[in-house]
Amino acid sequence: MASITGSAISFAAPALRRSQAVNKLSSLNSVSFFSARKSFPSIGSAPLRLQISCAAKKETLDKVCEIVKKQLALADGTAVTGESKFTELGADSLDTVEIVMGLEEAFEISVDEGSAQEIATVQDAADLIEQLVEAKA
Amino acid sequence: MNQFIRRGMLPMQGGVLSHRLFASLPPLTPSPLPSRREAHLWYVVPDELKDASQLKKYMELLSSCERERVLSMNGERLQKGALLSRALVRTTLARYCRVNPQSIKFKTSKFGKPEIMWQHGDQCNQPSLQFNVSHSSSLIACGITVDVPIGIDVEEKQRKTMSSISSLARRYFSPSEVEYLGSFSNTDARQKEFIKLWTLKEAYVKALGRGFSGAPFKDFTIRLEATKAMQLAAVPRVHIEADSDPEYLTDNWEFALFELSSSHYAAVCMERDISHSGRENEPLRLKVWKTIPFVEDEFVSGTNAVKYICGLS
Repeated sequence: MASITGSAISFAAPALRRSQAVNKLSSLNSVSFFSARKSFPSIGSAPLRLQISCAAKKETLDKVCEIVKKQLALADGTAVTGESKFTELGADSLDTVEIVMGLEEAFEISVDEGSAQEIATVQDAADLIEQLVEAKA
Repeated sequence: MNQFIRRGMLPMQGGVLSHRLFASLPPLTPSPLPSRREAHLWYVVPDELKDASQLKKYMELLSSCERERVLSMNGERLQKGALLSRALVRTTLARYCRVNPQSIKFKTSKFGKPEIMWQHGDQCNQPSLQFNVSHSSSLIACGITVDVPIGIDVEEKQRKTMSSISSLARRYFSPSEVEYLGSFSNTDARQKEFIKLWTLKEAYVKALGRGFSGAPFKDFTIRLEATKAMQLAAVPRVHIEADSDPEYLTDNWEFALFELSSSHYAAVCMERDISHSGRENEPLRLKVWKTIPFVEDEFVSGTNAVKYICGLS
Protein backbone atom coordinates (compact mmCIF):
# COMPACT_ATOMS: atom_id res chain seq x y z
CA MET A 1 0.00 0.00 0.00
CA ALA A 2 1.54 3.27 -1.09
CA SER A 3 1.76 6.12 1.27
CA ILE A 4 3.23 9.52 0.68
CA THR A 5 5.05 11.29 3.42
CA GLY A 6 7.21 14.35 3.32
CA SER A 7 6.52 17.64 1.65
CA ALA A 8 7.73 16.98 -1.89
CA ILE A 9 4.25 17.39 -3.31
CA SER A 10 2.27 20.46 -2.40
CA PHE A 11 -1.11 18.86 -2.08
CA ALA A 12 -3.91 20.78 -0.49
CA ALA A 13 -5.13 17.47 0.83
CA PRO A 14 -6.31 18.47 4.29
CA ALA A 15 -8.48 21.30 2.95
CA LEU A 16 -10.00 19.22 0.16
CA ARG A 17 -10.89 16.19 2.16
CA ARG A 18 -13.29 17.87 4.51
CA SER A 19 -16.51 19.56 3.61
CA GLN A 20 -16.54 23.22 4.55
CA ALA A 21 -19.48 24.34 6.62
CA VAL A 22 -20.83 27.78 5.75
CA ASN A 23 -20.37 29.20 9.20
CA LYS A 24 -17.22 27.58 10.44
CA LEU A 25 -17.22 26.95 14.12
CA SER A 26 -14.50 25.54 16.20
CA SER A 27 -15.81 22.46 17.94
CA LEU A 28 -18.85 23.08 20.01
CA ASN A 29 -17.21 22.10 23.21
CA SER A 30 -14.24 24.33 22.56
CA VAL A 31 -11.62 21.65 22.32
CA SER A 32 -8.38 23.46 21.97
CA PHE A 33 -6.53 20.34 20.91
CA PHE A 34 -8.37 19.24 17.81
CA SER A 35 -9.37 22.15 15.64
CA ALA A 36 -12.35 21.55 13.40
CA ARG A 37 -10.31 22.62 10.42
CA LYS A 38 -7.81 25.25 9.44
CA SER A 39 -8.67 27.70 6.71
CA PHE A 40 -5.33 27.10 5.01
CA PRO A 41 -3.39 23.92 4.36
CA SER A 42 -1.13 23.13 7.23
CA ILE A 43 2.56 23.69 6.75
CA GLY A 44 5.44 22.08 8.50
CA SER A 45 5.58 18.51 9.56
CA ALA A 46 1.95 17.47 9.16
CA PRO A 47 1.86 14.42 6.92
CA LEU A 48 0.18 14.81 3.51
CA ARG A 49 -2.42 12.34 2.43
CA LEU A 50 -3.69 11.28 -0.99
CA GLN A 51 -7.21 12.27 -1.93
CA ILE A 52 -7.82 8.75 -3.18
CA SER A 53 -8.18 6.76 -0.05
CA CYS A 54 -5.21 4.60 0.86
CA ALA A 55 -7.14 3.54 3.86
CA ALA A 56 -5.45 2.22 6.94
CA LYS A 57 -5.59 -1.50 7.57
CA LYS A 58 -8.77 -2.70 9.16
CA GLU A 59 -6.97 -3.92 12.23
CA THR A 60 -5.49 -0.46 12.79
CA LEU A 61 -8.93 1.11 12.51
CA ASP A 62 -10.42 -1.48 14.84
CA LYS A 63 -7.73 -0.84 17.42
CA VAL A 64 -8.30 2.92 17.24
CA CYS A 65 -12.05 2.41 17.65
CA GLU A 66 -11.41 0.25 20.67
CA ILE A 67 -9.18 2.85 22.33
CA VAL A 68 -11.64 5.64 21.58
CA LYS A 69 -14.63 3.68 22.91
CA LYS A 70 -12.77 2.89 26.09
CA GLN A 71 -11.57 6.46 26.69
CA LEU A 72 -14.96 8.00 26.06
CA ALA A 73 -16.78 5.24 27.96
CA LEU A 74 -19.22 4.87 25.10
CA ALA A 75 -22.27 2.70 25.56
CA ASP A 76 -21.92 -0.78 24.06
CA GLY A 77 -24.26 -0.17 21.16
CA THR A 78 -22.51 3.04 20.07
CA ALA A 79 -21.33 2.81 16.48
CA VAL A 80 -17.79 4.05 16.06
CA THR A 81 -16.55 3.98 12.49
CA GLY A 82 -13.79 5.62 10.52
CA GLU A 83 -16.10 8.52 9.80
CA SER A 84 -16.89 9.21 13.43
CA LYS A 85 -15.70 12.63 14.46
CA PHE A 86 -14.06 12.92 17.84
CA THR A 87 -15.99 16.06 18.67
CA GLU A 88 -19.29 14.38 17.84
CA LEU A 89 -18.42 11.50 20.12
CA GLY A 90 -18.06 14.00 22.94
CA ALA A 91 -14.27 14.01 23.29
CA ASP A 92 -13.03 17.03 25.15
CA SER A 93 -9.42 18.16 25.24
CA LEU A 94 -8.41 15.88 28.08
CA ASP A 95 -10.03 12.89 26.38
CA THR A 96 -8.17 13.79 23.25
CA VAL A 97 -4.73 13.86 24.84
CA GLU A 98 -5.50 10.58 26.56
CA ILE A 99 -6.54 9.03 23.28
CA VAL A 100 -3.39 10.27 21.56
CA MET A 101 -1.27 8.89 24.38
CA GLY A 102 -3.16 5.59 24.21
CA LEU A 103 -2.51 5.38 20.48
CA GLU A 104 1.17 6.20 20.98
CA GLU A 105 1.52 3.40 23.48
CA ALA A 106 -0.49 0.87 21.48
CA PHE A 107 1.38 1.48 18.24
CA GLU A 108 4.75 2.56 19.65
CA ILE A 109 4.76 5.84 17.79
CA SER A 110 5.18 9.46 18.69
CA VAL A 111 2.58 12.00 17.60
CA ASP A 112 3.52 15.67 17.51
CA GLU A 113 0.94 18.33 18.41
CA GLY A 114 0.75 19.65 14.86
CA SER A 115 -0.23 16.27 13.43
CA ALA A 116 -2.61 15.58 16.29
CA GLN A 117 -4.43 18.82 15.69
CA GLU A 118 -5.21 17.72 12.12
CA ILE A 119 -7.11 14.67 13.29
CA ALA A 120 -10.86 15.13 13.08
CA THR A 121 -12.12 11.58 12.55
CA VAL A 122 -11.21 8.11 13.67
CA GLN A 123 -10.06 7.42 10.12
CA ASP A 124 -7.67 10.37 10.29
CA ALA A 125 -6.14 8.89 13.42
CA ALA A 126 -5.77 5.45 11.81
CA ASP A 127 -4.20 6.95 8.68
CA LEU A 128 -1.73 8.97 10.72
CA ILE A 129 -0.80 5.93 12.76
CA GLU A 130 -0.10 3.91 9.63
CA GLN A 131 2.12 6.63 8.24
CA LEU A 132 4.06 6.96 11.46
CA VAL A 133 4.43 3.20 11.80
CA GLU A 134 5.67 2.94 8.22
CA ALA A 135 8.06 5.84 8.65
CA LYS A 136 9.52 4.04 11.63
CA ALA A 137 10.07 0.78 9.72
CA MET B 1 -22.33 41.76 46.60
CA ASN B 2 -25.56 40.19 47.69
CA GLN B 3 -26.97 37.24 45.91
CA PHE B 4 -30.16 38.08 44.11
CA ILE B 5 -32.36 36.56 41.46
CA ARG B 6 -33.48 38.59 38.53
CA ARG B 7 -36.11 37.70 36.00
CA GLY B 8 -36.17 39.29 32.60
CA MET B 9 -38.07 42.53 32.96
CA LEU B 10 -36.71 44.94 30.40
CA PRO B 11 -37.49 44.84 26.71
CA MET B 12 -34.77 44.04 24.20
CA GLN B 13 -33.64 47.01 22.19
CA GLY B 14 -32.35 47.28 18.68
CA GLY B 15 -31.35 44.50 16.35
CA VAL B 16 -33.56 42.52 14.10
CA LEU B 17 -36.45 41.12 16.05
CA SER B 18 -38.01 37.91 14.93
CA HIS B 19 -41.67 38.24 15.70
CA ARG B 20 -42.03 34.57 16.43
CA LEU B 21 -39.08 34.58 18.79
CA PHE B 22 -40.19 37.72 20.59
CA ALA B 23 -43.63 36.30 21.12
CA SER B 24 -42.43 32.99 22.54
CA LEU B 25 -39.59 34.04 24.86
CA PRO B 26 -39.38 36.61 27.63
CA PRO B 27 -36.63 39.19 27.16
CA LEU B 28 -33.10 38.71 28.42
CA THR B 29 -32.02 40.99 31.19
CA PRO B 30 -29.46 43.38 29.75
CA SER B 31 -26.13 43.52 31.50
CA PRO B 32 -23.60 46.34 31.78
CA LEU B 33 -20.30 45.62 30.05
CA PRO B 34 -17.38 44.33 32.06
CA SER B 35 -14.90 47.03 32.95
CA ARG B 36 -11.44 46.91 31.45
CA ARG B 37 -9.88 44.61 34.04
CA GLU B 38 -12.89 42.48 34.63
CA ALA B 39 -14.17 39.18 33.32
CA HIS B 40 -17.78 38.02 33.47
CA LEU B 41 -18.71 34.39 33.56
CA TRP B 42 -22.14 32.92 32.90
CA TYR B 43 -22.78 29.25 33.44
CA VAL B 44 -25.59 26.75 33.02
CA VAL B 45 -26.04 23.33 34.61
CA PRO B 46 -27.61 21.08 31.97
CA ASP B 47 -29.15 18.67 34.46
CA GLU B 48 -31.31 21.47 35.84
CA LEU B 49 -32.90 21.98 32.45
CA LYS B 50 -35.41 19.26 31.75
CA ASP B 51 -38.12 21.23 30.00
CA ALA B 52 -38.26 19.97 26.42
CA SER B 53 -40.19 23.01 25.23
CA GLN B 54 -37.52 25.29 26.68
CA LEU B 55 -34.85 23.32 24.82
CA LYS B 56 -36.89 23.65 21.64
CA LYS B 57 -36.93 27.41 22.09
CA TYR B 58 -33.17 27.45 22.47
CA MET B 59 -32.91 25.49 19.25
CA GLU B 60 -34.72 28.31 17.48
CA LEU B 61 -31.93 30.71 18.45
CA LEU B 62 -29.30 28.77 16.57
CA SER B 63 -28.16 29.18 13.00
CA SER B 64 -28.97 26.28 10.70
CA CYS B 65 -25.33 25.29 10.68
CA GLU B 66 -25.26 25.20 14.48
CA ARG B 67 -28.45 23.15 14.53
CA GLU B 68 -26.88 20.67 12.17
CA ARG B 69 -23.84 20.43 14.41
CA VAL B 70 -26.01 19.87 17.47
CA LEU B 71 -27.95 17.08 15.78
CA SER B 72 -24.78 15.41 14.58
CA MET B 73 -23.64 14.86 18.17
CA ASN B 74 -23.83 11.27 19.29
CA GLY B 75 -26.81 10.78 21.54
CA GLU B 76 -29.30 12.94 23.39
CA ARG B 77 -27.04 13.97 26.25
CA LEU B 78 -24.31 15.27 23.94
CA GLN B 79 -26.90 16.97 21.74
CA LYS B 80 -28.36 18.75 24.74
CA GLY B 81 -24.88 19.86 25.83
CA ALA B 82 -24.08 21.19 22.38
CA LEU B 83 -27.43 22.98 22.17
CA LEU B 84 -27.03 24.62 25.56
CA SER B 85 -23.50 25.63 24.70
CA ARG B 86 -24.60 27.57 21.65
CA ALA B 87 -27.67 28.95 23.40
CA LEU B 88 -25.49 30.13 26.28
CA VAL B 89 -23.05 31.93 23.98
CA ARG B 90 -25.80 33.65 22.02
CA THR B 91 -27.90 34.68 24.98
CA THR B 92 -24.90 35.85 26.99
CA LEU B 93 -23.61 38.04 24.18
CA ALA B 94 -27.11 39.33 23.55
CA ARG B 95 -27.28 40.61 27.13
CA TYR B 96 -24.34 42.91 26.50
CA CYS B 97 -25.16 43.86 22.94
CA ARG B 98 -28.91 44.36 23.36
CA VAL B 99 -29.62 42.42 20.20
CA ASN B 100 -31.66 39.39 19.31
CA PRO B 101 -29.53 36.38 20.23
CA GLN B 102 -30.54 34.75 16.99
CA SER B 103 -29.02 37.56 14.95
CA ILE B 104 -25.44 37.25 16.14
CA LYS B 105 -23.05 35.91 13.52
CA PHE B 106 -19.86 34.03 14.23
CA LYS B 107 -16.69 33.24 12.41
CA THR B 108 -13.49 31.48 13.28
CA SER B 109 -10.11 33.17 13.35
CA LYS B 110 -7.55 31.70 11.03
CA PHE B 111 -6.42 29.54 13.91
CA GLY B 112 -9.86 28.21 14.61
CA LYS B 113 -10.89 30.36 17.58
CA PRO B 114 -14.57 31.35 17.48
CA GLU B 115 -15.19 35.10 17.24
CA ILE B 116 -18.12 37.40 16.76
CA MET B 117 -18.57 38.61 13.21
CA TRP B 118 -19.73 42.18 13.64
CA GLN B 119 -22.30 43.45 11.20
CA HIS B 120 -22.41 47.00 9.97
CA GLY B 121 -24.24 49.13 12.48
CA ASP B 122 -23.88 46.71 15.38
CA GLN B 123 -23.92 48.49 18.69
CA CYS B 124 -21.35 46.24 20.16
CA ASN B 125 -18.24 46.53 18.07
CA GLN B 126 -16.76 49.40 20.09
CA PRO B 127 -15.44 48.35 22.56
CA SER B 128 -15.24 44.84 21.22
CA LEU B 129 -16.61 41.94 23.19
CA GLN B 130 -14.44 38.88 23.56
CA PHE B 131 -15.77 35.54 24.66
CA ASN B 132 -14.74 31.97 25.26
CA VAL B 133 -16.77 28.87 26.08
CA SER B 134 -15.95 25.71 27.93
CA HIS B 135 -17.95 22.77 29.06
CA SER B 136 -17.78 19.54 30.95
CA SER B 137 -20.58 17.01 30.79
CA SER B 138 -22.30 18.71 33.72
CA LEU B 139 -21.59 22.42 33.37
CA ILE B 140 -21.25 24.90 30.53
CA ALA B 141 -19.61 28.29 30.99
CA CYS B 142 -19.11 31.37 28.86
CA GLY B 143 -16.56 34.03 29.77
CA ILE B 144 -16.82 37.62 28.55
CA THR B 145 -14.34 40.48 28.48
CA VAL B 146 -14.10 43.79 26.71
CA ASP B 147 -11.19 44.27 24.31
CA VAL B 148 -8.80 41.70 25.75
CA PRO B 149 -8.64 38.06 24.70
CA ILE B 150 -10.03 35.59 27.19
CA GLY B 151 -9.73 31.84 27.60
CA ILE B 152 -11.66 29.73 30.09
CA ASP B 153 -11.76 26.10 31.05
CA VAL B 154 -13.96 24.10 33.40
CA GLU B 155 -13.40 20.53 34.53
CA GLU B 156 -15.19 18.32 37.00
CA LYS B 157 -13.23 18.18 40.24
CA GLN B 158 -13.76 14.44 40.43
CA ARG B 159 -12.71 13.82 36.85
CA LYS B 160 -10.83 10.58 36.66
CA THR B 161 -8.35 9.92 33.93
CA MET B 162 -7.88 6.56 32.22
CA SER B 163 -4.11 6.98 32.32
CA SER B 164 -2.15 7.73 35.45
CA ILE B 165 -1.60 11.36 36.38
CA SER B 166 2.15 10.90 36.33
CA SER B 167 2.19 9.43 32.82
CA LEU B 168 -0.06 12.20 31.52
CA ALA B 169 2.08 14.84 33.19
CA ARG B 170 5.32 13.34 31.87
CA ARG B 171 3.91 13.23 28.35
CA TYR B 172 2.30 16.68 28.27
CA PHE B 173 3.40 18.96 31.09
CA SER B 174 6.64 20.87 31.62
CA PRO B 175 9.39 19.36 33.79
CA SER B 176 8.75 21.70 36.72
CA GLU B 177 5.04 20.90 36.62
CA VAL B 178 5.83 17.20 36.63
CA GLU B 179 8.00 17.79 39.68
CA TYR B 180 5.26 19.84 41.33
CA LEU B 181 2.66 17.11 40.81
CA GLY B 182 5.11 14.46 41.94
CA SER B 183 5.43 16.23 45.28
CA PHE B 184 1.89 15.09 46.17
CA SER B 185 2.10 11.61 47.61
CA ASN B 186 -1.65 11.38 48.14
CA THR B 187 -3.14 10.27 44.82
CA ASP B 188 -6.40 12.09 45.42
CA ALA B 189 -4.59 15.35 46.07
CA ARG B 190 -2.37 14.78 43.05
CA GLN B 191 -5.40 14.17 40.85
CA LYS B 192 -6.99 17.43 42.02
CA GLU B 193 -3.80 19.41 41.44
CA PHE B 194 -3.54 17.90 37.98
CA ILE B 195 -7.06 19.03 37.13
CA LYS B 196 -6.40 22.53 38.47
CA LEU B 197 -3.21 22.81 36.48
CA TRP B 198 -4.95 21.41 33.43
CA THR B 199 -7.67 24.06 33.56
CA LEU B 200 -5.09 26.83 33.92
CA LYS B 201 -3.03 25.58 31.00
CA GLU B 202 -6.09 25.00 28.86
CA ALA B 203 -7.42 28.48 29.62
CA TYR B 204 -4.09 29.98 28.58
CA VAL B 205 -3.99 28.07 25.29
CA LYS B 206 -7.56 29.08 24.54
CA ALA B 207 -6.83 32.70 25.38
CA LEU B 208 -3.91 32.66 22.97
CA GLY B 209 -6.30 31.26 20.40
CA ARG B 210 -3.81 29.28 18.36
CA GLY B 211 -4.93 25.81 19.23
CA PHE B 212 -3.03 23.15 21.08
CA SER B 213 -0.18 23.00 18.58
CA GLY B 214 0.30 26.78 18.79
CA ALA B 215 1.04 26.49 22.47
CA PRO B 216 2.11 22.96 23.35
CA PHE B 217 1.57 22.28 27.01
CA LYS B 218 5.19 21.27 27.45
CA ASP B 219 6.46 24.65 26.34
CA PHE B 220 5.15 26.63 29.27
CA THR B 221 4.83 26.30 33.02
CA ILE B 222 2.14 27.76 35.22
CA ARG B 223 2.94 28.17 38.86
CA LEU B 224 1.86 30.24 41.82
CA GLU B 225 4.00 33.20 42.63
CA ALA B 226 3.88 35.82 45.28
CA THR B 227 2.88 39.16 43.86
CA LYS B 228 5.11 42.20 43.97
CA ALA B 229 2.52 44.09 45.96
CA MET B 230 2.39 43.31 49.65
CA GLN B 231 -0.31 40.71 49.30
CA LEU B 232 -0.30 37.34 50.97
CA ALA B 233 -2.11 35.56 48.22
CA ALA B 234 -0.08 34.14 45.35
CA VAL B 235 -1.24 34.38 41.77
CA PRO B 236 -0.69 31.94 38.95
CA ARG B 237 1.88 33.11 36.45
CA VAL B 238 2.91 31.60 33.16
CA HIS B 239 6.56 31.06 32.32
CA ILE B 240 7.77 30.11 28.90
CA GLU B 241 10.19 27.21 28.93
CA ALA B 242 13.72 28.12 27.88
CA ASP B 243 14.01 25.67 24.99
CA SER B 244 10.64 26.36 23.43
CA ASP B 245 9.87 28.51 20.42
CA PRO B 246 8.77 31.83 21.91
CA GLU B 247 7.16 33.10 18.74
CA TYR B 248 3.59 32.55 19.81
CA LEU B 249 3.96 32.18 23.52
CA THR B 250 3.64 35.35 25.54
CA ASP B 251 3.56 35.77 29.27
CA ASN B 252 1.52 38.94 29.81
CA TRP B 253 -1.50 37.03 31.02
CA GLU B 254 -3.50 36.97 34.22
CA PHE B 255 -5.15 33.94 35.69
CA ALA B 256 -7.87 33.18 38.15
CA LEU B 257 -8.60 29.72 39.51
CA PHE B 258 -11.71 28.94 41.52
CA GLU B 259 -14.19 26.26 42.40
CA LEU B 260 -17.46 26.63 40.58
CA SER B 261 -20.82 25.26 41.68
CA SER B 262 -19.01 23.01 44.20
CA SER B 263 -18.41 20.52 41.44
CA HIS B 264 -15.87 22.07 39.11
CA TYR B 265 -12.52 23.75 38.92
CA ALA B 266 -12.61 26.74 36.63
CA ALA B 267 -9.80 28.83 35.23
CA VAL B 268 -10.01 32.19 33.53
CA CYS B 269 -7.10 33.67 31.60
CA MET B 270 -7.08 37.19 30.22
CA GLU B 271 -4.45 39.46 28.78
CA ARG B 272 -2.79 41.65 31.33
CA ASP B 273 -3.52 45.33 31.14
CA ILE B 274 -0.13 46.99 30.87
CA SER B 275 -1.51 50.36 29.85
CA HIS B 276 -1.92 51.40 33.45
CA SER B 277 1.51 51.07 34.99
CA GLY B 278 1.66 50.17 38.63
CA ARG B 279 -1.55 48.19 38.34
CA GLU B 280 -0.03 45.15 36.65
CA ASN B 281 -0.25 43.17 39.83
CA GLU B 282 -3.85 43.89 40.57
CA PRO B 283 -5.60 40.56 40.48
CA LEU B 284 -8.27 39.81 37.97
CA ARG B 285 -11.81 40.84 38.93
CA LEU B 286 -14.52 38.34 38.19
CA LYS B 287 -18.30 38.37 38.29
CA VAL B 288 -20.21 35.14 37.96
CA TRP B 289 -23.82 34.41 37.14
CA LYS B 290 -25.66 31.15 37.07
CA THR B 291 -28.33 31.15 34.41
CA ILE B 292 -31.16 29.34 32.75
CA PRO B 293 -31.52 31.72 29.80
CA PHE B 294 -34.92 33.41 29.65
CA VAL B 295 -35.94 31.70 32.87
CA GLU B 296 -33.69 32.69 35.71
CA ASP B 297 -30.43 34.55 36.37
CA GLU B 298 -28.60 34.40 39.65
CA PHE B 299 -25.58 36.48 40.58
CA VAL B 300 -23.41 34.04 42.52
CA SER B 301 -20.12 35.87 43.17
CA GLY B 302 -19.47 35.93 46.88
CA THR B 303 -21.57 32.82 47.48
CA ASN B 304 -20.51 29.22 47.91
CA ALA B 305 -20.96 28.72 44.19
CA VAL B 306 -17.71 30.57 43.56
CA LYS B 307 -14.85 29.62 45.86
CA TYR B 308 -11.65 31.45 45.28
CA ILE B 309 -8.45 29.41 44.99
CA CYS B 310 -6.01 31.95 43.62
CA GLY B 311 -5.62 34.93 41.37
CA LEU B 312 -8.89 36.73 42.07
CA SER B 313 -9.23 40.00 43.87
